[in-house]
Amino acid sequence: MKHWNEEDLIEFYYGESKSSAAIGEHLRGCEECSERYTALSSDLFAIQPPATPFRDADYGAETWEKIRGSVTAYPTARKSRFGWPRLQPWFGFAMAAACLLIIAVSFFAGRRWEHHSVSMDTATAKNGADQGRQRVVLVVLGEHLDRSERLLVELKHAQPSREAPLRDEARDLLSANRLYREDVRQAGEPALTAALDHLERVLTEVANEPAGLSQARLDELQKEMNTDGLLFEVRVLRSRVQGDLENKQNTTATVKGVSI
Amino acid sequence: MKVHDHAIVREVLDGNKDAYGTLVARHSQSVFRVAFRITGDEADADEVVQEAFLRGYQRLQSFELRAGFGTWIYRIAVNCALNMKNRRKVEAKYKVGEENDPALRQVQVADTAAGPERTLLSREIEQMQTAAMESLTAIERTAFVLRHMEDRSTTEIATALEIAPDAAKQAVFRAVQKLRRSLAPLRVNL
Ligand SMILES: [Zn+2]
Repeated sequence: MKHWNEEDLIEFYYGESKSSAAIGEHLRGCEECSERYTALSSDLFAIQPPATPFRDADYGAETWEKIRGSVTAYPTARKSRFGWPRLQPWFGFAMAAACLLIIAVSFFAGRRWEHHSVSMDTATAKNGADQGRQRVVLVVLGEHLDRSERLLVELKHAQPSREAPLRDEARDLLSANRLYREDVRQAGEPALTAALDHLERVLTEVANEPAGLSQARLDELQKEMNTDGLLFEVRVLRSRVQGDLENKQNTTATVKGVSI
Repeated sequence: MKVHDHAIVREVLDGNKDAYGTLVARHSQSVFRVAFRITGDEADADEVVQEAFLRGYQRLQSFELRAGFGTWIYRIAVNCALNMKNRRKVEAKYKVGEENDPALRQVQVADTAAGPERTLLSREIEQMQTAAMESLTAIERTAFVLRHMEDRSTTEIATALEIAPDAAKQAVFRAVQKLRRSLAPLRVNL
Protein backbone atom coordinates (compact mmCIF):
# COMPACT_ATOMS: atom_id res chain seq x y z
CA MET A 1 0.00 0.00 0.00
CA LYS A 2 1.26 3.47 -0.85
CA HIS A 3 1.33 5.66 2.22
CA TRP A 4 1.10 9.42 2.19
CA ASN A 5 4.05 11.46 3.35
CA GLU A 6 4.13 14.42 5.72
CA GLU A 7 3.96 16.97 2.93
CA ASP A 8 0.85 15.35 1.51
CA LEU A 9 -0.72 15.36 4.94
CA ILE A 10 0.17 19.00 5.56
CA GLU A 11 -1.50 19.98 2.29
CA PHE A 12 -4.48 17.87 3.25
CA TYR A 13 -4.67 19.57 6.66
CA TYR A 14 -4.86 22.99 5.03
CA GLY A 15 -7.47 21.80 2.55
CA GLU A 16 -5.20 22.27 -0.43
CA SER A 17 -4.50 18.74 -1.51
CA LYS A 18 -5.41 17.77 -5.02
CA SER A 19 -5.83 14.21 -3.75
CA SER A 20 -7.97 15.00 -0.75
CA ALA A 21 -10.59 12.37 -1.56
CA ALA A 22 -7.96 9.67 -1.93
CA ILE A 23 -6.15 10.75 1.23
CA GLY A 24 -9.39 10.85 3.21
CA GLU A 25 -10.24 7.39 2.00
CA HIS A 26 -6.76 6.12 2.82
CA LEU A 27 -6.78 7.62 6.31
CA ARG A 28 -9.97 5.74 7.10
CA GLY A 29 -8.33 2.44 6.25
CA CYS A 30 -4.67 2.89 7.22
CA GLU A 31 -3.85 2.96 10.89
CA GLU A 32 -0.27 4.09 10.36
CA CYS A 33 -1.13 7.15 8.27
CA SER A 34 -4.11 7.94 10.40
CA GLU A 35 -1.91 8.05 13.51
CA ARG A 36 0.62 10.27 11.79
CA TYR A 37 -2.12 12.56 10.62
CA THR A 38 -3.65 12.81 14.08
CA ALA A 39 -0.25 13.75 15.50
CA LEU A 40 0.27 16.35 12.80
CA SER A 41 -3.12 17.93 13.18
CA SER A 42 -2.90 18.11 16.95
CA ASP A 43 0.55 19.75 16.68
CA LEU A 44 -0.72 22.26 14.19
CA PHE A 45 -3.90 22.92 16.08
CA ALA A 46 -1.85 23.70 19.20
CA ILE A 47 -0.07 26.53 17.41
CA GLN A 48 -2.32 29.48 18.04
CA PRO A 49 -1.54 33.01 16.92
CA PRO A 50 -0.11 35.13 19.72
CA ALA A 51 -2.49 37.72 21.11
CA THR A 52 -2.32 40.79 18.88
CA PRO A 53 -1.68 43.93 20.94
CA PHE A 54 -4.72 46.16 21.07
CA ARG A 55 -4.98 49.14 18.74
CA ASP A 56 -7.94 51.38 19.36
CA ALA A 57 -10.33 52.99 16.91
CA ASP A 58 -8.05 56.01 16.51
CA TYR A 59 -5.14 53.92 15.31
CA GLY A 60 -5.85 54.55 11.64
CA ALA A 61 -6.14 58.29 12.16
CA GLU A 62 -2.91 58.34 14.18
CA THR A 63 -1.12 56.37 11.48
CA TRP A 64 -2.34 58.72 8.79
CA GLU A 65 -1.21 61.69 10.89
CA LYS A 66 2.30 60.21 11.03
CA ILE A 67 2.66 59.72 7.29
CA ARG A 68 0.52 62.60 6.08
CA GLY A 69 3.43 65.03 6.04
CA SER A 70 5.50 62.65 3.94
CA VAL A 71 3.09 62.45 1.04
CA THR A 72 2.05 65.08 -1.43
CA ALA A 73 -1.23 65.35 -3.26
CA TYR A 74 -1.48 63.86 -6.71
CA PRO A 75 -1.73 66.54 -9.36
CA THR A 76 -5.37 67.24 -9.94
CA ALA A 77 -6.75 66.34 -13.34
CA ARG A 78 -8.82 69.50 -13.52
CA LYS A 79 -7.50 72.96 -14.26
CA SER A 80 -7.68 75.25 -11.30
CA ARG A 81 -10.15 78.12 -11.44
CA PHE A 82 -7.31 80.49 -12.28
CA GLY A 83 -6.62 78.50 -15.38
CA TRP A 84 -3.06 77.54 -14.50
CA PRO A 85 -1.64 74.94 -16.81
CA ARG A 86 -1.39 71.40 -15.44
CA LEU A 87 2.29 71.80 -14.81
CA GLN A 88 1.61 74.15 -11.95
CA PRO A 89 0.28 71.72 -9.34
CA TRP A 90 2.88 69.19 -10.37
CA PHE A 91 5.57 71.75 -9.73
CA GLY A 92 4.11 72.53 -6.33
CA PHE A 93 3.98 68.82 -5.68
CA ALA A 94 7.65 68.46 -6.41
CA MET A 95 8.51 71.47 -4.28
CA ALA A 96 6.64 70.09 -1.31
CA ALA A 97 8.10 66.65 -1.77
CA ALA A 98 11.55 68.18 -1.79
CA CYS A 99 11.43 68.66 1.96
CA LEU A 100 10.91 64.94 2.36
CA LEU A 101 13.64 63.92 -0.01
CA ILE A 102 16.05 66.43 1.46
CA ILE A 103 15.95 64.35 4.59
CA ALA A 104 16.93 61.26 2.65
CA VAL A 105 19.55 63.04 0.64
CA SER A 106 21.11 64.67 3.63
CA PHE A 107 21.67 61.16 4.94
CA PHE A 108 23.26 60.09 1.78
CA ALA A 109 25.35 63.17 1.28
CA GLY A 110 25.69 63.20 4.99
CA ARG A 111 28.47 60.71 5.33
CA ARG A 112 30.38 63.76 6.49
CA TRP A 113 28.09 63.88 9.49
CA GLU A 114 28.78 60.42 10.58
CA HIS A 115 31.36 61.50 13.13
CA HIS A 116 28.89 63.91 14.67
CA SER A 117 27.10 61.09 16.36
CA VAL A 118 25.94 63.19 19.29
CA SER A 119 22.36 62.35 18.49
CA MET A 120 23.02 58.72 19.28
CA ASP A 121 23.74 59.57 22.90
CA THR A 122 21.15 62.24 23.42
CA ALA A 123 18.44 60.58 21.41
CA THR A 124 15.03 61.66 22.51
CA ALA A 125 11.72 60.06 21.76
CA LYS A 126 11.15 62.66 19.03
CA ASN A 127 14.45 61.75 17.50
CA GLY A 128 13.34 58.16 17.46
CA ALA A 129 10.16 59.04 15.63
CA ASP A 130 12.01 61.23 13.12
CA GLN A 131 14.49 58.50 12.48
CA GLY A 132 11.70 56.05 11.98
CA ARG A 133 10.24 58.29 9.31
CA GLN A 134 13.60 58.96 7.70
CA ARG A 135 14.21 55.25 7.61
CA VAL A 136 10.95 54.81 5.76
CA VAL A 137 12.06 57.43 3.23
CA LEU A 138 15.34 55.66 2.67
CA VAL A 139 13.52 52.37 2.29
CA VAL A 140 11.24 53.86 -0.34
CA LEU A 141 14.11 55.42 -2.28
CA GLY A 142 16.09 52.22 -1.95
CA GLU A 143 13.19 50.32 -3.35
CA HIS A 144 12.97 52.63 -6.32
CA LEU A 145 16.63 51.96 -7.06
CA ASP A 146 16.06 48.23 -6.59
CA ARG A 147 13.27 48.18 -9.10
CA SER A 148 15.27 50.28 -11.51
CA GLU A 149 18.16 47.92 -11.14
CA ARG A 150 15.95 44.92 -11.91
CA LEU A 151 14.60 46.67 -14.99
CA LEU A 152 18.09 47.46 -16.24
CA VAL A 153 19.17 43.87 -15.67
CA GLU A 154 16.15 42.67 -17.62
CA LEU A 155 16.92 45.14 -20.33
CA LYS A 156 20.48 43.87 -20.49
CA HIS A 157 19.27 40.33 -21.09
CA ALA A 158 16.23 41.27 -23.13
CA GLN A 159 15.55 39.39 -26.32
CA PRO A 160 14.07 41.31 -29.20
CA SER A 161 10.34 41.15 -28.82
CA ARG A 162 7.21 42.52 -30.38
CA GLU A 163 5.65 42.70 -26.96
CA ALA A 164 6.60 45.31 -24.47
CA PRO A 165 6.90 43.57 -21.11
CA LEU A 166 9.16 46.23 -19.64
CA ARG A 167 7.10 49.14 -20.83
CA ASP A 168 4.58 49.20 -17.98
CA GLU A 169 7.26 48.88 -15.36
CA ALA A 170 9.26 51.64 -17.04
CA ARG A 171 6.22 53.93 -17.07
CA ASP A 172 5.57 53.23 -13.45
CA LEU A 173 9.17 53.92 -12.50
CA LEU A 174 9.32 56.99 -14.67
CA SER A 175 6.71 58.95 -12.75
CA ALA A 176 8.42 58.21 -9.44
CA ASN A 177 11.83 58.91 -10.89
CA ARG A 178 10.84 62.38 -12.11
CA LEU A 179 9.76 63.25 -8.64
CA TYR A 180 12.91 61.94 -7.01
CA ARG A 181 15.18 63.57 -9.56
CA GLU A 182 13.59 66.94 -9.06
CA ASP A 183 13.79 66.67 -5.28
CA VAL A 184 17.37 65.56 -5.36
CA ARG A 185 18.29 68.37 -7.72
CA GLN A 186 16.75 70.91 -5.40
CA ALA A 187 18.54 69.33 -2.50
CA GLY A 188 21.83 70.01 -4.28
CA GLU A 189 23.11 66.52 -4.96
CA PRO A 190 24.64 66.80 -8.44
CA ALA A 191 25.99 63.24 -8.70
CA LEU A 192 22.71 61.70 -7.68
CA THR A 193 20.78 64.11 -9.90
CA ALA A 194 22.91 63.15 -12.88
CA ALA A 195 22.36 59.45 -12.24
CA LEU A 196 18.61 59.85 -11.90
CA ASP A 197 18.61 62.03 -14.98
CA HIS A 198 20.40 59.33 -16.94
CA LEU A 199 17.93 56.80 -15.58
CA GLU A 200 15.04 58.98 -16.63
CA ARG A 201 16.25 59.15 -20.23
CA VAL A 202 16.49 55.37 -20.42
CA LEU A 203 13.12 54.89 -18.75
CA THR A 204 11.53 57.37 -21.15
CA GLU A 205 12.88 55.41 -24.10
CA VAL A 206 11.60 52.10 -22.77
CA ALA A 207 8.28 53.56 -21.64
CA ASN A 208 7.61 55.02 -25.07
CA GLU A 209 8.47 51.93 -27.07
CA PRO A 210 5.12 51.15 -28.67
CA ALA A 211 5.73 47.65 -29.96
CA GLY A 212 8.47 46.06 -27.94
CA LEU A 213 12.17 46.36 -28.52
CA SER A 214 13.92 45.21 -31.65
CA GLN A 215 17.51 44.01 -31.55
CA ALA A 216 18.61 47.23 -33.25
CA ARG A 217 16.79 49.29 -30.65
CA LEU A 218 18.32 47.26 -27.83
CA ASP A 219 21.80 47.77 -29.27
CA GLU A 220 21.11 51.44 -29.65
CA LEU A 221 20.00 51.79 -26.06
CA GLN A 222 23.03 49.87 -24.95
CA LYS A 223 25.44 52.03 -26.92
CA GLU A 224 23.91 55.46 -26.92
CA MET A 225 22.53 55.44 -23.47
CA ASN A 226 25.26 53.34 -21.90
CA THR A 227 22.81 51.22 -19.97
CA ASP A 228 25.60 49.08 -18.53
CA GLY A 229 27.23 52.14 -17.06
CA LEU A 230 23.88 53.20 -15.66
CA LEU A 231 23.34 49.81 -14.10
CA PHE A 232 26.65 50.19 -12.32
CA GLU A 233 25.74 53.69 -11.11
CA VAL A 234 22.39 52.51 -9.81
CA ARG A 235 24.06 49.67 -7.92
CA VAL A 236 26.51 52.05 -6.30
CA LEU A 237 23.68 54.38 -5.26
CA ARG A 238 21.68 51.45 -4.00
CA SER A 239 24.49 50.32 -1.77
CA ARG A 240 24.92 53.84 -0.44
CA VAL A 241 21.25 54.01 0.46
CA GLN A 242 21.54 50.58 2.02
CA GLY A 243 24.55 51.72 4.04
CA ASP A 244 22.69 54.77 5.30
CA LEU A 245 19.72 52.63 6.08
CA GLU A 246 21.83 50.27 8.13
CA ASN A 247 23.36 53.16 10.06
CA LYS A 248 19.85 54.40 10.63
CA GLN A 249 18.76 51.01 11.78
CA ASN A 250 21.57 50.79 14.30
CA THR A 251 20.62 54.16 15.71
CA THR A 252 16.97 53.21 15.86
CA ALA A 253 17.85 49.92 17.52
CA THR A 254 19.80 51.81 20.16
CA VAL A 255 16.95 54.19 20.79
CA LYS A 256 14.54 51.30 21.01
CA GLY A 257 16.78 49.33 23.29
CA VAL A 258 16.68 52.15 25.78
CA SER A 259 12.96 52.59 25.64
CA ILE A 260 12.09 48.94 26.26
CA MET B 1 -23.66 54.94 3.22
CA LYS B 2 -20.10 53.77 3.13
CA VAL B 3 -18.14 55.11 0.17
CA HIS B 4 -16.47 52.32 -1.76
CA ASP B 5 -12.68 52.04 -1.51
CA HIS B 6 -12.33 52.39 -5.26
CA ALA B 7 -14.14 55.71 -5.22
CA ILE B 8 -11.76 56.93 -2.53
CA VAL B 9 -8.75 55.80 -4.54
CA ARG B 10 -10.02 57.84 -7.48
CA GLU B 11 -10.50 60.83 -5.24
CA VAL B 12 -6.93 60.56 -3.94
CA LEU B 13 -5.58 60.26 -7.47
CA ASP B 14 -7.60 63.29 -8.34
CA GLY B 15 -5.64 65.37 -5.88
CA ASN B 16 -7.46 64.95 -2.56
CA LYS B 17 -4.69 63.47 -0.47
CA ASP B 18 -6.65 63.52 2.77
CA ALA B 19 -9.15 61.06 1.36
CA TYR B 20 -6.36 58.51 1.76
CA GLY B 21 -6.79 58.88 5.53
CA THR B 22 -10.12 57.06 5.20
CA LEU B 23 -8.40 54.12 3.53
CA VAL B 24 -5.77 54.07 6.27
CA ALA B 25 -8.48 54.12 8.92
CA ARG B 26 -10.37 51.29 7.26
CA HIS B 27 -7.49 48.92 6.77
CA SER B 28 -4.91 49.74 9.44
CA GLN B 29 -6.16 47.16 11.94
CA SER B 30 -5.85 44.18 9.62
CA VAL B 31 -2.54 45.45 8.32
CA PHE B 32 -1.27 45.84 11.89
CA ARG B 33 -2.40 42.33 12.80
CA VAL B 34 -0.55 40.63 9.97
CA ALA B 35 2.48 42.88 10.48
CA PHE B 36 2.60 41.92 14.15
CA ARG B 37 2.25 38.24 13.40
CA ILE B 38 5.08 38.32 10.91
CA THR B 39 7.46 40.60 12.78
CA GLY B 40 6.55 39.40 16.26
CA ASP B 41 7.27 42.89 17.56
CA GLU B 42 4.83 45.65 18.37
CA ALA B 43 7.03 48.62 17.46
CA ASP B 44 8.20 46.96 14.26
CA ALA B 45 4.60 46.24 13.35
CA ASP B 46 3.66 49.92 13.79
CA GLU B 47 6.55 50.87 11.56
CA VAL B 48 5.49 48.33 8.94
CA VAL B 49 1.97 49.76 8.97
CA GLN B 50 3.30 53.25 8.25
CA GLU B 51 5.66 52.03 5.59
CA ALA B 52 2.97 49.97 3.87
CA PHE B 53 0.51 52.83 3.68
CA LEU B 54 3.21 55.22 2.56
CA ARG B 55 4.25 52.89 -0.23
CA GLY B 56 0.63 52.27 -1.05
CA TYR B 57 0.12 55.99 -1.51
CA GLN B 58 3.15 56.34 -3.72
CA ARG B 59 2.16 53.40 -5.88
CA LEU B 60 -1.51 54.22 -5.98
CA GLN B 61 -1.40 54.83 -9.72
CA SER B 62 -0.43 51.22 -10.26
CA PHE B 63 -3.38 49.97 -8.18
CA GLU B 64 -5.78 48.21 -10.48
CA LEU B 65 -9.42 48.56 -9.78
CA ARG B 66 -10.18 44.90 -10.33
CA ALA B 67 -8.44 44.10 -7.03
CA GLY B 68 -9.71 45.19 -3.65
CA PHE B 69 -7.71 47.93 -1.99
CA GLY B 70 -7.65 45.86 1.21
CA THR B 71 -6.05 42.89 -0.53
CA TRP B 72 -3.62 45.13 -2.31
CA ILE B 73 -2.40 47.01 0.75
CA TYR B 74 -2.29 43.74 2.69
CA ARG B 75 0.17 42.36 0.15
CA ILE B 76 2.34 45.44 0.36
CA ALA B 77 2.33 45.14 4.15
CA VAL B 78 3.31 41.47 4.00
CA ASN B 79 6.27 42.46 1.87
CA CYS B 80 7.31 45.26 4.19
CA ALA B 81 6.97 42.95 7.19
CA LEU B 82 9.03 40.25 5.51
CA ASN B 83 11.76 42.77 4.74
CA MET B 84 11.67 44.04 8.29
CA LYS B 85 11.97 40.50 9.62
CA ASN B 86 14.87 39.81 7.28
CA ARG B 87 16.66 42.93 8.47
CA ARG B 88 16.09 42.00 12.09
CA LYS B 89 17.51 38.54 11.43
CA VAL B 90 20.63 40.04 9.90
CA GLU B 91 20.99 42.46 12.81
CA ALA B 92 20.56 39.69 15.33
CA LYS B 93 23.38 37.81 13.71
CA TYR B 94 25.78 40.66 14.40
CA LYS B 95 24.50 41.71 17.76
CA VAL B 96 24.15 39.59 20.82
CA GLY B 97 23.24 42.50 23.08
CA GLU B 98 20.28 41.50 25.20
CA GLU B 99 18.05 44.40 24.25
CA ASN B 100 18.39 43.38 20.62
CA ASP B 101 17.63 39.73 21.09
CA PRO B 102 14.40 39.38 19.13
CA ALA B 103 13.31 36.33 21.08
CA LEU B 104 13.70 38.21 24.32
CA ARG B 105 11.93 41.30 23.02
CA GLN B 106 9.15 39.14 21.76
CA VAL B 107 8.75 37.42 25.11
CA GLN B 108 8.44 40.82 26.77
CA VAL B 109 5.82 41.83 24.26
CA ALA B 110 3.93 38.60 24.81
CA ASP B 111 4.04 39.15 28.56
CA THR B 112 2.54 42.59 28.43
CA ALA B 113 -0.03 41.46 25.89
CA ALA B 114 -1.12 38.53 28.01
CA GLY B 115 -4.33 39.03 29.94
CA PRO B 116 -4.64 38.04 33.62
CA GLU B 117 -6.69 34.99 32.67
CA ARG B 118 -3.70 33.44 31.00
CA THR B 119 -2.27 30.68 33.09
CA LEU B 120 1.37 30.10 33.78
CA LEU B 121 1.25 27.03 31.57
CA SER B 122 -0.26 28.83 28.61
CA ARG B 123 2.37 31.55 28.97
CA GLU B 124 5.06 28.91 28.96
CA ILE B 125 3.60 27.37 25.82
CA GLU B 126 3.36 30.75 24.20
CA GLN B 127 7.01 31.46 24.97
CA MET B 128 8.07 28.15 23.49
CA GLN B 129 6.03 28.85 20.40
CA THR B 130 7.57 32.28 20.14
CA ALA B 131 11.06 30.81 20.32
CA ALA B 132 10.13 28.13 17.79
CA MET B 133 8.77 30.76 15.41
CA GLU B 134 11.99 32.75 15.82
CA SER B 135 13.97 29.73 14.65
CA LEU B 136 12.33 29.93 11.22
CA THR B 137 13.78 31.96 8.38
CA ALA B 138 11.90 35.15 7.57
CA ILE B 139 10.33 33.61 4.49
CA GLU B 140 9.30 30.40 6.28
CA ARG B 141 7.82 32.39 9.10
CA THR B 142 5.89 34.68 6.79
CA ALA B 143 4.59 31.83 4.67
CA PHE B 144 3.54 29.93 7.79
CA VAL B 145 1.82 32.94 9.36
CA LEU B 146 -0.12 33.53 6.16
CA ARG B 147 -1.09 29.88 5.77
CA HIS B 148 -1.75 28.93 9.36
CA MET B 149 -2.84 32.11 11.09
CA GLU B 150 -4.20 34.22 8.27
CA ASP B 151 -5.78 31.34 6.37
CA ARG B 152 -4.35 32.37 3.01
CA SER B 153 -4.04 29.92 0.12
CA THR B 154 -0.71 28.90 -1.38
CA THR B 155 -1.51 31.00 -4.43
CA GLU B 156 -2.18 34.06 -2.32
CA ILE B 157 1.02 33.47 -0.35
CA ALA B 158 3.03 33.12 -3.53
CA THR B 159 1.57 36.34 -4.92
CA ALA B 160 2.20 38.27 -1.72
CA LEU B 161 5.77 37.04 -1.41
CA GLU B 162 6.45 37.31 -5.13
CA ILE B 163 7.67 33.73 -5.32
CA ALA B 164 6.56 30.65 -7.25
CA PRO B 165 3.63 28.70 -5.77
CA ASP B 166 5.86 25.68 -5.31
CA ALA B 167 8.38 27.75 -3.36
CA ALA B 168 5.55 29.03 -1.15
CA LYS B 169 4.39 25.49 -0.55
CA GLN B 170 7.91 24.35 0.32
CA ALA B 171 8.35 27.26 2.73
CA VAL B 172 5.19 26.21 4.57
CA PHE B 173 6.36 22.59 4.68
CA ARG B 174 9.75 23.50 6.08
CA ALA B 175 8.13 25.77 8.67
CA VAL B 176 5.74 23.06 9.81
CA GLN B 177 8.53 20.50 10.04
CA LYS B 178 10.79 22.81 12.04
CA LEU B 179 7.99 23.91 14.34
CA ARG B 180 6.96 20.34 15.05
CA ARG B 181 10.50 19.46 15.97
CA SER B 182 10.90 22.50 18.22
CA LEU B 183 7.56 21.99 19.90
CA ALA B 184 7.87 18.24 20.39
CA PRO B 185 8.61 18.63 24.13
CA LEU B 186 5.21 20.27 24.57
CA ARG B 187 3.37 17.13 23.60
CA VAL B 188 3.92 15.57 27.03
CA ASN B 189 2.37 18.61 28.69
CA LEU B 190 -0.78 18.49 26.66
ZN1 LIG C 1 -1.01 4.66 5.04
